[in-house]
Amino acid sequence: MSALSQLYVVVLATVGIGLTAALLAWRERPEPGATPLVVMLVGQSWWSIFFAFELQAPTLAAKMFWSDVQWVGVVAIPVAWVLFAMEYTGRDQYVRTKYVAALSVVPALTVVFAATGDYHDLLYTGSELTQQGNVEVLRRNGGPWYWVSAGYTYLLGLIGSVPLLGYVRSETSQFRGQSVALLVGTVAPWASNVLFLYGAVPIPGLDPTPVAFAVSGVAYLGALTRFRLLGTSPAPNRRARRLVFERMQDAAVVVDSHDYVVDMNESATEMLGTSARSALGRPAGDVLPKYDYVPSVGTTSEYVTVDGRNGQRHYDVTVTEVSDFHGRNVGRVISYHNVDEHLRHQQRLEVLNRVLRHNIRNETNVIYGYADLVADEEGPATDRARIIKERAIAIADMGEKARQIVDTFEQLRKETRTVSLRNLVERTVVDANERFPRVEVRVGALPTDVRVNAVLGPALENLVENAAEHNTEPDPYVELDATVSDGWVRLVVTDNGPGIERHERAVLERGTETALEHGSGLGLWLVTWAVGIADGTVEFEENGPSGSVVTVEAPTLPADEETEEPAETAENEQTGTESVGEMDTPPNSGESTTGDD
Amino acid sequence: MNESPHQSVETDGTATWGEEVVEQMTVYGERAGDALLYSSAYLAVIAAVELAIVMMLLGIQSNPAPVVVAFVTFSVYAYDRLVDVETDEISNPRQAAFIRRHRDILYLMASVCYGLAVALSVLGGPFALAITLLPGMFGVLYASDWVPNVGVRFARFKDVLVVNTAVVAFAWAVTLTFLPLAFAGESFTPATGIVFCYFFLRSFVDTELPNVGDVESDRASDVSTLPLTLGIRGTRYALYGVDLASLGLVVYAVDAGVLPLSAAVALGLGILYSLSLVSRIGRTEDYEVLSLASECEYLLVGVVLGVLVFI
Repeated sequence: MSALSQLYVVVLATVGIGLTAALLAWRERPEPGATPLVVMLVGQSWWSIFFAFELQAPTLAAKMFWSDVQWVGVVAIPVAWVLFAMEYTGRDQYVRTKYVAALSVVPALTVVFAATGDYHDLLYTGSELTQQGNVEVLRRNGGPWYWVSAGYTYLLGLIGSVPLLGYVRSETSQFRGQSVALLVGTVAPWASNVLFLYGAVPIPGLDPTPVAFAVSGVAYLGALTRFRLLGTSPAPNRRARRLVFERMQDAAVVVDSHDYVVDMNESATEMLGTSARSALGRPAGDVLPKYDYVPSVGTTSEYVTVDGRNGQRHYDVTVTEVSDFHGRNVGRVISYHNVDEHLRHQQRLEVLNRVLRHNIRNETNVIYGYADLVADEEGPATDRARIIKERAIAIADMGEKARQIVDTFEQLRKETRTVSLRNLVERTVVDANERFPRVEVRVGALPTDVRVNAVLGPALENLVENAAEHNTEPDPYVELDATVSDGWVRLVVTDNGPGIERHERAVLERGTETALEHGSGLGLWLVTWAVGIADGTVEFEENGPSGSVVTVEAPTLPADEETEEPAETAENEQTGTESVGEMDTPPNSGESTTGDD
Repeated sequence: MNESPHQSVETDGTATWGEEVVEQMTVYGERAGDALLYSSAYLAVIAAVELAIVMMLLGIQSNPAPVVVAFVTFSVYAYDRLVDVETDEISNPRQAAFIRRHRDILYLMASVCYGLAVALSVLGGPFALAITLLPGMFGVLYASDWVPNVGVRFARFKDVLVVNTAVVAFAWAVTLTFLPLAFAGESFTPATGIVFCYFFLRSFVDTELPNVGDVESDRASDVSTLPLTLGIRGTRYALYGVDLASLGLVVYAVDAGVLPLSAAVALGLGILYSLSLVSRIGRTEDYEVLSLASECEYLLVGVVLGVLVFI
């Protein structure tokens, strides 16, 4: 078989593979990139088919005719390639009629010049038959437009390849495979065409590019079948990221390294009461409120107030640096998180805290004082006065626990404070011994130099109180054991009291109460929430034959910069102030002593 | 207790080796038969035989045309079955189920075959290429609601009475008659005209006959066919007319000396066979078998012609 015959067979194979790939791509419409890919593959097949006819043609005129017809396919390929790359990588905003028309100007002129070649030398300056063995092949000399068209083809080839190159190192293996196959399929014919232009082909004058389309066809077929080209594509990625930025609830403004506003999302335009068109390109200081107070990076310590159409709004401002590939700072993203709801919540907590801290205590003090006076008058009312005093103490305790819970949640807003685990346990034990002298409080060996979140203080105090307070056994005890392993503290509180009811444990594990299923108090809720705030876990188990075992696990923390508070203050903070029962202040009158209602 | 949907046959070990082979061959044979029938592969074989008949009638040397036609036939019918799989649920549920089950591989095979057909047709030159592309383009117009990128909406040929059948018959007659001519580089003769008309009429019958069984699905999809317009009896008479016109054409060709008598005998036998099938319209329930038998007319003609020519 002669070289030309072999060439002929390869060209026919190219046609078969190209058309098969085109039909497979046709089926995938309207997937992003499918239609341009069909056009590109049909263009390749067109070029190959008429190249084969050129080889078959016996005369110079016939060969020139088929050579000219090939241009339709030749010029369609680069345009389709660019459009494919744009659609496939999610840049479909460029695949619009006006852009397609603009891209098609040079190709259309090329086809016109090819069809009217008899009247000018723009595309070819000359054509002749050269003898290659026993076969005559067409040899044509390119005119000025030939080089314009060639340059344009290579330019579009390059433009189309750039967005695809980004996916060669994609984290998604499918996209890596697809982009590599596509690039191979594109580079092969162009490399072949470059060799032809440099005259480095075995048969002078014969452009072997259509032959290289066999490689392209196989690569595209592989991409379609093996890597599910058009079955899965990265087209949504860019849009999705933009969508997240546009639709995020926080207002976000992008400023460049010269403090000019370069982008903003919908929430930002709403917050600022402006439009993107009027804000973009202006100095950030003119557009953003209190821009001078915005840190270069990080979060503001104060809320930023913005006067908008709907009144005053408060924002937490966070600044994130934007760096380029080389790590150079090229701008910043300033995001504004609305904290109005948070502030309202905080105000409610402050009022509640005051009510629990002062008002309830004062009222119960008054009740307790009057009950004391009634108890002093001997008679049948003495027992009733005792009951009133007990209930007043219970109400005050409940108010105190509620205040502790409010304080615990307040910790969420503040910087985490740490305490020594050893001090925390020892203080708890001292307090328990004072309050429950009948109960033996045992402590195992405590690890030293371990610090934990201070919020665990009230949690541990309530666990011990719960274990000791209701323990009616003849030899009541509470055991505390603390161990540290892999950066985690494991605190176990064991008692031989009546234990925690199964339904109460279930309520705590579920995390919600209903009118029918609820706990008996606030103490264990406080434990659950406080441990959660400390990023830990708590487990309630039975202790046979009676009692319960509560296991708290929480991460250890490094020491904070502030020195630990004095023991007295810390103790008060843990346990609250002295109990109502220990206060003995008789009321001056029947009126409330509080004045801050 | 629920019964298993799969019934197993108890083998007591007495089945002979030969029985097992027969059973296996039966199973695989049925599968191959289903694949041949429902994938339209049998139509590709018939089309190749038709082309061989044309080449014998016109005295054309052997060339790749029958292979090209076989590939194109397989592709076009496979695409058509893929497009019409939902409407075929009513008229031909077993075929529709087969198409659904093998949808992807069928599309791939149809695409490969069309690519190969076009590539091979390049060997025959520009006319062979144009003729090969013709059934594909008519297939798009016949089956599709949409023609790409021209912004104009065409009515499907499939929806227009007689035109739909005539378009299909014309496309096949052109392909069958002129493709081998293009490959051989021979010019048009009176015999070519006779052969073209003969295949146009035969293809008309082959295309319209299956419509008798598709009345319900065609009515559901607003396709206009002879059985829907003329009724079953009217269709029978209309197809009698087409068959008799074919017979008249053959008689005329022999009388004019365009076709040899042996060829006319073979073609005449085929037409008589077709008349017998058309007479069954309205008198049978199994139009699937009737259509299949009609398409096999060319196998009969091919065998008879081969015997007469080589003897």
